[in-house]
Amino acid sequence: MSVDMLQIPDWSDLGGFLPETVMFGAFLLALLGDLVVRRRPVVPFAVVMAGALTALALSFAGLDAPERTILGGLVVVDGMAAFFRILFSLIAVATLLVSWASEEIMGRSRENKGEYYALIALMTGGMMVMAEARDLLMLYLSLELVSLSSYVMAGYMRNSLRATEASLKYVIFGAVSSGVMLYGLSLLYGLTGSLTYAGVRDALAAGAGDPLSLLTVCVLLLAGLGYKIAMVPFHFWAPDVYEGAPTPVSAFFSVGPKAAGFALMIRFFYTTMQPAVDRVDWRLLIAVLSVATMTFGNLVAVRQVNVKRLLAYSSIAHAGYLLMGFLMLTAEGLQAILFYLLVYALMNLGAFLFVVALNNSLKSEHLDDYAGLGFRSPWAAAMMIVFLFSLTGLPPTAGFIGKFYLFAAVMHEGWYWLAIVGVLNSVVSLFYYMKIARTMYFTKAPADAPAVPIAPLHYVTLVLLAAPTLFLGLYWGGFKDLADRAVQHFTAL
Amino acid sequence: MTQTPCLAAVATGLHAGYATVLLFLLFGIFFGNLALGIARLVRPRKPGGEKAVTYECGELPSGSSWVRFNIRFYLVALFFIVFDVEVIFLYPWAVVFKPLSAAAGSLVFVEMAMFLGILAIGLAYIWVKGDLDWVKSLARRSGTEVGGE
Repeated sequence: MSVDMLQIPDWSDLGGFLPETVMFGAFLLALLGDLVVRRRPVVPFAVVMAGALTALALSFAGLDAPERTILGGLVVVDGMAAFFRILFSLIAVATLLVSWASEEIMGRSRENKGEYYALIALMTGGMMVMAEARDLLMLYLSLELVSLSSYVMAGYMRNSLRATEASLKYVIFGAVSSGVMLYGLSLLYGLTGSLTYAGVRDALAAGAGDPLSLLTVCVLLLAGLGYKIAMVPFHFWAPDVYEGAPTPVSAFFSVGPKAAGFALMIRFFYTTMQPAVDRVDWRLLIAVLSVATMTFGNLVAVRQVNVKRLLAYSSIAHAGYLLMGFLMLTAEGLQAILFYLLVYALMNLGAFLFVVALNNSLKSEHLDDYAGLGFRSPWAAAMMIVFLFSLTGLPPTAGFIGKFYLFAAVMHEGWYWLAIVGVLNSVVSLFYYMKIARTMYFTKAPADAPAVPIAPLHYVTLVLLAAPTLFLGLYWGGFKDLADRAVQHFTAL
Repeated sequence: MTQTPCLAAVATGLHAGYATVLLFLLFGIFFGNLALGIARLVRPRKPGGEKAVTYECGELPSGSSWVRFNIRFYLVALFFIVFDVEVIFLYPWAVVFKPLSAAAGSLVFVEMAMFLGILAIGLAYIWVKGDLDWVKSLARRSGTEVGGE
């Protein structure tokens, strides 16, 4: 191969890659800051926070921009990429705020606090790249970048047996699924002879691949992608990891990598597998998996008494709802997914934040210890009620609007049975979300129940998450507009 | 589509290729068992204690083979691999670097400088954090350099 055939990137490419550059720069600066100013985690915290806010500000410009391929064809920047950059920057900011006042992260006995904040920056950058990959190599690289950082974050509490177990399970499960996915990618490359999404699409449209091998490719790829979004049957790691990891980390995992996994799946399946839909009905495959995911998540959540574990199963169920919108292959479905991901990030981070805030004083996530919280800590409990209503999908909260758009998109495509299963599942979820509410308000706290002071920063963050969750339930137009603008130039539809 | 018959031919060719693999596998199993089977019939049978001992390149084996390796070996191996791969990566870069134009060359040079810079920060990080010390906890406690084993 001669040098002329190489695609040398241009300096101007970096202009389209600014938010990621900022996040990766923040990661390096945070590490350096941690070395220079030792035992002052405020330095890495401030660096990463500044980075996330800068990335957020830089991301809005790209919402209406047409598609642009940069960095030698590895990365594509368009409205959807901009939307996910905004989402991931917001999630990073919220996670930073949650972590800063959390005993689990900032407790006296913890080492490497600076490293923790640096890893948040690295993971946020990695998730942004996941949403932009347009090449099988970049797909794998970005996925591994996020996975490897998350293994370290899950094991952050080095002295805790539970956290170490969670981290180890995560590593083993992640390694297996990414290996299986890599095999699927190699099969796809063998069938189409191309690594870029566009090349794979053209080869598949020209008839490459028989139904059996394409089905194999789909199943193998779903193993790797399903693991990232915690889809049944690749969900086994989620409850254990969410329960064992520090709660702020669980909060981050349940929204960040999950949304990134969806971004990756959308771009990959919509671009490359669409022409193959006549030979392998992957939409039906995903429909079945979606039903299995939400039903399993909801039914198992009913029996949980550990709130973290309950929220873990609920996040599995939410992946099921999102998959419904995913397989519609319409602009409406895509807009619904994006909007729901935004809403889901708000309400799920809020619910986890409530657990973090209480863990500081209760040192427990058991449901029984939440008895009487409605009177012991009325404001925080009231905000938790907002998040729980929203997670169930009750009006007047953002969750209702999100689910409404999602189900509407499914119905418009004529998948009535799928929408009915989704609605029935929401009814089941009402039971266990309200179980938390009932314990907080209708179970009497024991006389010796400890006081539950909540850190001021946690109060502020709770309000910052609860206010939009309520507000979006009444005036969702502006945010829905963001999602609509993000997909207007999405060419794969 | 004019391409379809051609691709169909490729597909059948692909399956024919798998048939060869299957044949190869079957022959391998058959041939291996054949050789061992004949040897079993022909050879003298003299079992002994020394023959059952684990083969360690002619040395007498000592100790159990279920020794737990210290985790530090893995750390050192990881550091080694990172910098090993870095050097492997530098070779092809150096080969294509020369014929590049000035504009593209400067970008490619800066890219590699960034890559090396990131690795340098990583090296500084593990150095300062004490992961290069073989006995990490002792070095930190006494504040002095502690040698190997």
